[in-house]
Amino acid sequence: MAVKELERRSLSIARPLGPAALTAGPVILFTAGGMRFAVAADEVQEVRGGDERTTMRKLKGTELIDFALQVGLGEGILERLLVLKPGECALEVTDVERMASIPKVVSLPGMFRGMERQWYRGLLLLENEVVPLVRTEFWRKAAGQGAGHE
Amino acid sequence: MNDSTRFVTFPLGEQHYALDSSQVKELLMPVKVYRFPHTMSSLEGVLVRRGTVIPVCDLRETLGHGPERNFYVIAQCNYLGRREVIAIPVTGDCQLVQGVRGEASGAVEFVAAVLHSGGRTFPLLDLDQIVAHCIQPARGMAREAMR
Repeated sequence: MAVKELERRSLSIARPLGPAALTAGPVILFTAGGMRFAVAADEVQEVRGGDERTTMRKLKGTELIDFALQVGLGEGILERLLVLKPGECALEVTDVERMASIPKVVSLPGMFRGMERQWYRGLLLLENEVVPLVRTEFWRKAAGQGAGHE
Repeated sequence: MNDSTRFVTFPLGEQHYALDSSQVKELLMPVKVYRFPHTMSSLEGVLVRRGTVIPVCDLRETLGHGPERNFYVIAQCNYLGRREVIAIPVTGDCQLVQGVRGEASGAVEFVAAVLHSGGRTFPLLDLDQIVAHCIQPARGMAREAMR
């Protein structure tokens, strides 16, 4: 088969499309809108239950962002709050799964040149999975501009 | 590999197309495509090959073929002045052929030339042009990546 011939002379893709975006420390894996994402653990102040939404918003002045909604996945099930440092913004997500340490992080391929470059710092290659790593500075700024759903 | 008489042909639905072999890095059997929310039309996600993340560019909307996929053609193109590598799902067997490049009759969108090989004629895709056309940021909404 001709494919075999191509495979024999196939050229490896010699170098990565981009250098590692960063050497990430531990990350927190969370789900939103049915998909998995990650955020650097040292950028998260605390994790709270969704039932503390009103307290966080009214008493602490924390701006809440429905993460799934903002990235186009529709309104999500919001059961956890990922409060980002220094505490003025929280991502409303479905669940916080676990922490993972020292994953490999690569840049978004250059063809992704829309809002996703703001949303994510890069992609984690994690246990046969690719997970976007959230760019917290963008979401803090978005919260400051009233991007929250409430 | 820069032999201008060698080409890779592949089917997209009923139609067979060709690319210059110098643009084709390798062929992959179907592999997992990782999807995540983004805003780029025609990009359905990424695949991982030897630790490298490669965007998957689905040409169905532009070239009109069915959802089946048998291989991924890993190809190199220029996109906004940068050399990029993309994975193109194709719907059947690919072949490495020798042939002669000829001029396309009339201006056909996304076709750089025609390839004459083995008594057949194939449209030779202008990959840079088709990728520039297909891959655009959507305005307003994120692409629903959970198809």
